[in-house]
Amino acid sequence: MDYQFHWNTVFQKMPEMLEGAFVTLHVSILSMLIGIVIAVFLAIVKMNQIKPFSYISSVWIEISRNTPALFQIYMAYFGLGAFGIHLSPYVAVLSALIFVNAGYLAETFRGGFQSIPKTQYSASKSLGMTNFQSYWYIILPQMFRRIYHPMTNQFVWSILMSSLGILVGMSELSGETQRLQSLSFRTLEFFMVAAVMYYIITKFVLISASLISRRLFKGEI
Amino acid sequence: MNLFKKLTICASLVAVLLPTVSSADKLDDVIKKGELNCGVVLDFPPMGYFDKDNKPLGFDVDYCNDLAKALGVKSNVLNLTWSDRIPSLVSGKTDVVIGSTSDTLERAKSVGFTYPYFIFKFQVFSKNKIASFDDLKGLKVGAALGTTYETEYLAYAKKHGWGKDNYTAFKSENDAFLGLFQGKIDAIITTNTNIATKLQTKEFKDFSAGPFVPNYDDVVGLIAKRSEVSWINYLNLFLIHQIRDGNMNKHYNTHFGADAPADLIQALRDNK
Repeated sequence: MDYQFHWNTVFQKMPEMLEGAFVTLHVSILSMLIGIVIAVFLAIVKMNQIKPFSYISSVWIEISRNTPALFQIYMAYFGLGAFGIHLSPYVAVLSALIFVNAGYLAETFRGGFQSIPKTQYSASKSLGMTNFQSYWYIILPQMFRRIYHPMTNQFVWSILMSSLGILVGMSELSGETQRLQSLSFRTLEFFMVAAVMYYIITKFVLISASLISRRLFKGEI
Repeated sequence: MNLFKKLTICASLVAVLLPTVSSADKLDDVIKKGELNCGVVLDFPPMGYFDKDNKPLGFDVDYCNDLAKALGVKSNVLNLTWSDRIPSLVSGKTDVVIGSTSDTLERAKSVGFTYPYFIFKFQVFSKNKIASFDDLKGLKVGAALGTTYETEYLAYAKKHGWGKDNYTAFKSENDAFLGLFQGKIDAIITTNTNIATKLQTKEFKDFSAGPFVPNYDDVVGLIAKRSEVSWINYLNLFLIHQIRDGNMNKHYNTHFGADAPADLIQALRDNK
């Protein structure tokens, strides 16, 4: 290969790339947190057949799991734009990621709920707990323990998929990299550094997740 | 001599001979291959676009065909986005990119530029008429990602303390126009040539072309791999001939509906 690497061009732009990396981390954490809350709701209404929410939940899960994230981001940005609803690139990507995360996690959570013996529900009811209390104190803590690892996978997925933000001009790590490489045309170098940064971000998230799980679940997982 | 030894000798002979064989340069390669892979940005009318039968058309496409004709080979036009231009050269998918590439000194460290082949002005395009460039302050402005007008706008915004918050980047030229059409942004910055074409469509006929980006001429060249010096020499001579033989003026007439301005031709002749 007759290609000469110019690494210093990339290092000069490091602050801007780090800024982009921060946005990536930011949008994926936020989409994950909100996604979890919605997913719990979707899973519970779907399992208990609470109408009409269970219909909404089924439709949500079907669409989010069976269409590409790229399409959803485009719909949130240009699709809603056609109806005069204008989301900023950040909000469009965030809402698309929340939509997908919630859909996927709802199915994961449903599996988690169903793996918990029915006797746990009955036992909490016999202690005089309300529905909310039995979920909050008995079921959810056990469920999260079981689905903790699939949930971290979903987290990694949202970090990587946030790179689709480039489609709607969001300045996260990929978008920023794209912009910087167009100034100097040092495409290969910029994207290699971006890849390393993605690797570091996901490793960082995975390691923190396992530290948190050790603390929360006292090594029982 | 056993088979293994024979193979080893063969392999080492090939290894010694290969470098001399492959020293044929790009110009030879293209002629031998009988095909010119020519990258054009096809969402940038009238330089490059698709006609209603989905066939590539435009000023840049005509240049590709002229170049292929001069070389006596078949022309193969490949559709690129702005940001595909360099990767396509590095990976060898294209032999030359005729894609309105601004010849900055920063980029010339990475790719080889020919002499200029066109000069654009950057202009504001909006629904409500904008009188001066400074009126963009506080308005939502967009442009296509990875273009020189994006860089120019951001530099201007930074100098005047407008910040980046009002700026939206779009993946392609078409997306930028779509964003403007939907009202996501108040104005976009693009080239005067693109605006002139868009004003003739029914979607954009009520929009108006605003001020030019101050003190900036966008001088663009063809690009090829930086190391292919003799190939770039050939391309330079080709560009000179395009003007000398009247092809440049002919294509300008086809796509802009008028003769090429004398100052444009003179500037290209002077390479500035």
